[in-house]
Amino acid sequence: MKDRPWFPVLYMFLVTAFFSSIVIGFATFTRDRIEANRQLDFEKSVLDVFGLAEGKSNAGIHEAFVGQIERDDRLGVYVLKDGGRFALPLEGKGFWAPIKGMLGVSADGVTLLGISFFEQNETPGLGGLIVTDKFRGQFAGKKLSTLERAIGIEPFGSEIGENQVHAISGATQTCVRLEKIINDGVGAWRKKVSGRKADEPE
Amino acid sequence: MSPNSNQTTLNREIVVDGLWRNNPVFRQVLGICSTLAVTNLVLNTLVMCICLTLVTALSCLTVSLLRKWTPRNIRMMVQTLIIAFYVIIVDLILKAYWPGMSRNLGPYVGLIITNCIIMGRCEAFAGSHEPLPSLMDGLFNGLGYSFLLLTISVFRELFGMGTILGWGVPYFSTYWDKWIIMVMPPGAFFTLACVIWFCRGYRQKSEGAA
Repeated sequence: MKDRPWFPVLYMFLVTAFFSSIVIGFATFTRDRIEANRQLDFEKSVLDVFGLAEGKSNAGIHEAFVGQIERDDRLGVYVLKDGGRFALPLEGKGFWAPIKGMLGVSADGVTLLGISFFEQNETPGLGGLIVTDKFRGQFAGKKLSTLERAIGIEPFGSEIGENQVHAISGATQTCVRLEKIINDGVGAWRKKVSGRKADEPE
Repeated sequence: MSPNSNQTTLNREIVVDGLWRNNPVFRQVLGICSTLAVTNLVLNTLVMCICLTLVTALSCLTVSLLRKWTPRNIRMMVQTLIIAFYVIIVDLILKAYWPGMSRNLGPYVGLIITNCIIMGRCEAFAGSHEPLPSLMDGLFNGLGYSFLLLTISVFRELFGMGTILGWGVPYFSTYWDKWIIMVMPPGAFFTLACVIWFCRGYRQKSEGAA
């Protein structure tokens, strides 16, 4: 039978069918879990900018997100129910792959609470350091400038103002792109805010 | 010699070959593409090595099990299919149960499919040997690869960031002027070349003495 011309075709067909069905089965089995992981990363990122994610279990994070966060569809931000602090979604191109994250802003719309990332693929050890507490911690307490460049990421060691943070040395590209991502996010949000003000009757 | 002791010698040969005498990286010079990408942090390297070793061992086992029925002219297709199957399973497991690591490794897990070691071992060994020795061969080639990759990553992380597995190393994390190039892709070229140079040099010397 092995010598028949149709045997390789049948054999390949059977082998492929066998392995593919296992893969399909396994993918179906893990799909919900993978989707839940992705959602959890996102929820954690939102809570993180308010300092609410720390020390919480996965279930605790989901519970806190559902209970305390509300999406403002018109402004595209996630608002913390008490006090009006909100998380501004950030999204854009990083050095290798998209960077997605959240920027926490207090109710005054100027003072920053923090920053967090739920998707990034920067060089480990260089651009990847944007997720470390050392880098992210710089953002808390900074104030957005009213200029188009609301936040500046300045070279390491330079003098910085109240709307500027230090870059990661060796990760210039990531920092330049991240600065653009933040400023684009803030710009888009400001546009929506001024649009809404124009709609409201005086 | 009883067949049993023959078996033992064969097993020992497979172990020594995979780990050292016929090491996939510095002897067969296979699979060095991934050496460049994932070796700048020891933790990432470790997980990558575990994935690769598992995939190589299981692929070799499966190829060997099917070897008597697989027609010769389509054996490469069958091998690729088997390798891809295991890689997708590993990728799904990481995504579902270790999402943090899956994020760190990014697209590299999927690229295990293209790692030449797996296909090389399936073709050179598993296609013509019994299942158990094939499993051993895959396993120890994977371990030989892992040992070399881990060596490289220890040097890269230490010189480039002053840490090992994220923990600061005395002197290196404080006074050492960090070599940024070591964590960038070019750093892998230099380190890989030095490690291959060292291993081959050492081998020649020990062979000369024997």
